[in-house]
Amino acid sequence: MKIFVLNCGSSSVKYKLYDMEGERVLAEGRVERVGQENATITHQSTGKEKITKTMPILEHTVAISETLHLLLHPEHGVLNSLDEIDAVGHRVVHGGESFSESTLIKEDTKDILDSLAELAPLHNPANVMGIRAAERLMPHTPQVAVFDTAFHSTMPSHAYLYAIPFNLYQKHKVRRYGFHGTSHLFVTQKAAEMIGKDIKDLRIVSCHLGNGASIAAVQGGQSVDTTMGFTPLEGLMMGTRSGDIDPGAIFYLMKTYDLSLHEIDSLLNKHSGLYGIAGVSDMRDIEKKMSEGDRLAQMAFDMYEYRIRKYIGAYIAAMGGIDALVFTAGIGENTPSLRTKLCQNLSYLGIELNEELNQKRGEPLDITTEDSKVRVFVIPTDEELVIARDTATIVGRE
Amino acid sequence: MDIRRIAVLGAGRLGRGIAENAASKGYDVVLFSQGAGGQDALRRIENSLDRKLARWAITEAEKRVILGRITFTLDLKELSKVDLLVEATIDHIYTKQELLRTADQLCQPDVVFVTTSSTLKLSDLARSITRSESLVGLHLIPPVPEVPVAELVRCHKTSDAAVEVVKGFAKRLGKEVIEINESIGLVNPRALLSLINEAAYMLDEGVGDTQSIEKLIKDSWGMVQGPFEMADRLGLDLVLNWMEQMQQAYGDRFAPCPLLYRYVRQKRLGVKTNLGFFSYNQEGKQED
Repeated sequence: MKIFVLNCGSSSVKYKLYDMEGERVLAEGRVERVGQENATITHQSTGKEKITKTMPILEHTVAISETLHLLLHPEHGVLNSLDEIDAVGHRVVHGGESFSESTLIKEDTKDILDSLAELAPLHNPANVMGIRAAERLMPHTPQVAVFDTAFHSTMPSHAYLYAIPFNLYQKHKVRRYGFHGTSHLFVTQKAAEMIGKDIKDLRIVSCHLGNGASIAAVQGGQSVDTTMGFTPLEGLMMGTRSGDIDPGAIFYLMKTYDLSLHEIDSLLNKHSGLYGIAGVSDMRDIEKKMSEGDRLAQMAFDMYEYRIRKYIGAYIAAMGGIDALVFTAGIGENTPSLRTKLCQNLSYLGIELNEELNQKRGEPLDITTEDSKVRVFVIPTDEELVIARDTATIVGRE
Repeated sequence: MDIRRIAVLGAGRLGRGIAENAASKGYDVVLFSQGAGGQDALRRIENSLDRKLARWAITEAEKRVILGRITFTLDLKELSKVDLLVEATIDHIYTKQELLRTADQLCQPDVVFVTTSSTLKLSDLARSITRSESLVGLHLIPPVPEVPVAELVRCHKTSDAAVEVVKGFAKRLGKEVIEINESIGLVNPRALLSLINEAAYMLDEGVGDTQSIEKLIKDSWGMVQGPFEMADRLGLDLVLNWMEQMQQAYGDRFAPCPLLYRYVRQKRLGVKTNLGFFSYNQEGKQED
């Protein structure tokens, strides 16, 4: 079975074509600057030369159409006909309360997704655009939506409710949803596999640390709590997002500077986090500045580490213990110094880091010593594979 | 037609605001001006973006992208390359008619024209061009990027297709479009001028001082600015120009208060001269 996975952003399209027998990637690539005259397509079929093209791509339908042409290309492609694609799997950021699991897309699905645009204005409209474009180009191929929020739908109400008037939850569904679900699912399943135990018997804290960052408490294979909330602004300190902040401080700032909703939203989403403290948002830049003795970069790093540690502690309390800690995504996978510091500070749990293994990159690794009481893993995430697996399961069932 | 590149004629406060708003929503903007200070337009747009940056509304990268989308030119031949034209010059019938006629000759035939005029009749402007069915009135209020509504007006010649194009443009600028019937002064300028004029009369008659009248009106009705500050920000010369045109159309009920004439004669034009009803510093902030 061949599954085509699409991840459409507002100005980008990422794609992977899988052969589900052996979960092999047949081709992958991305289109950037969709909507502009100088959009770029980077495409690589496995075992073939990587190609890059620059051309005007004004909308998602054209972007997807171009990628399909590349898949069919006699030299660079891997397909003879689009009929070989059995289903298309779409990443959809916000499924709200309507979708607690991946779903086959029907006419009313898109209407519901449209209605969820307010909850994820940066992501959902682009996701739906991708769905409509793929439907136009492959009208007879089943389309499946896989939601970032779905994995967290198992959270108990005491974890997902906010302590605000209950009718606001009933009326507007204001609650914690959580994000990065496909990533947390993938890495915790992989960790269980590496431990060699049924995930049902494990308590895992999963740290997805990218430019956006979240931690999930995964007990028995189910998310029981996560740091991101109603939107991806809550929780950890991130590249440019504040994470947790007293709402009272927001009111104070709005009053003091006479800030509009747009201004305070932009302040918290784009001017805060690592960038707000140190003036740079990339962890590699933070580390470089720290090595040069930059005090604010050091402070940003310490804050970043502390907040992760604080939530790890909270989730150990929530689950009554911990068997494994997992790091994934850009910062989680590529910043050994952060993992070292976290594990040193968590040594009271009996964590013993193998520093040599901690320095390795690019493959799933247990980075602890044999004596460590808690396993610590670095696992490169693969959200597309989760989407492909879910899509294959749903299409196989139908 | 897919609209990607727009022309803005006029680099005053309104034209600059439209250029900034359009560029921030992804349009490429060619800003034209032959008036004094036109060359300064890009720097003033950058200043406006810097103020937004200082208030965290945009990022440094966003500022660079927005500025990168705006070019300034004196060469009207560039009009042959745009997909939509927005005219934002001062409300003077002959100047506007002449400018629109020139643009009519230079722009591609399917380009829709937008005029921001409020005190001139749309049908009088439409008469001056061959594409009279493609001229739509869109009244945008400064500061354009921040004001969420716009008045859209059509005359008997305006085509539905042109109106749809302009509605799409305004929507992308983030405006809720409210369609009204053709009338001199539209809704906002007409109501605003009455308020400013009456406030000026009250000041002139000694009913209260500037601060008292401003505060009473502003705070009682939950306004962001009172009539005097609004007049100062528009420019008292512009207010007077509008009033005179409205007086011609509606008679003495729009007769400008003598105080407005006095201030304009004394070059107390508002923010742009640092003194109008109130005093302002170089950043346009009100001084006590």
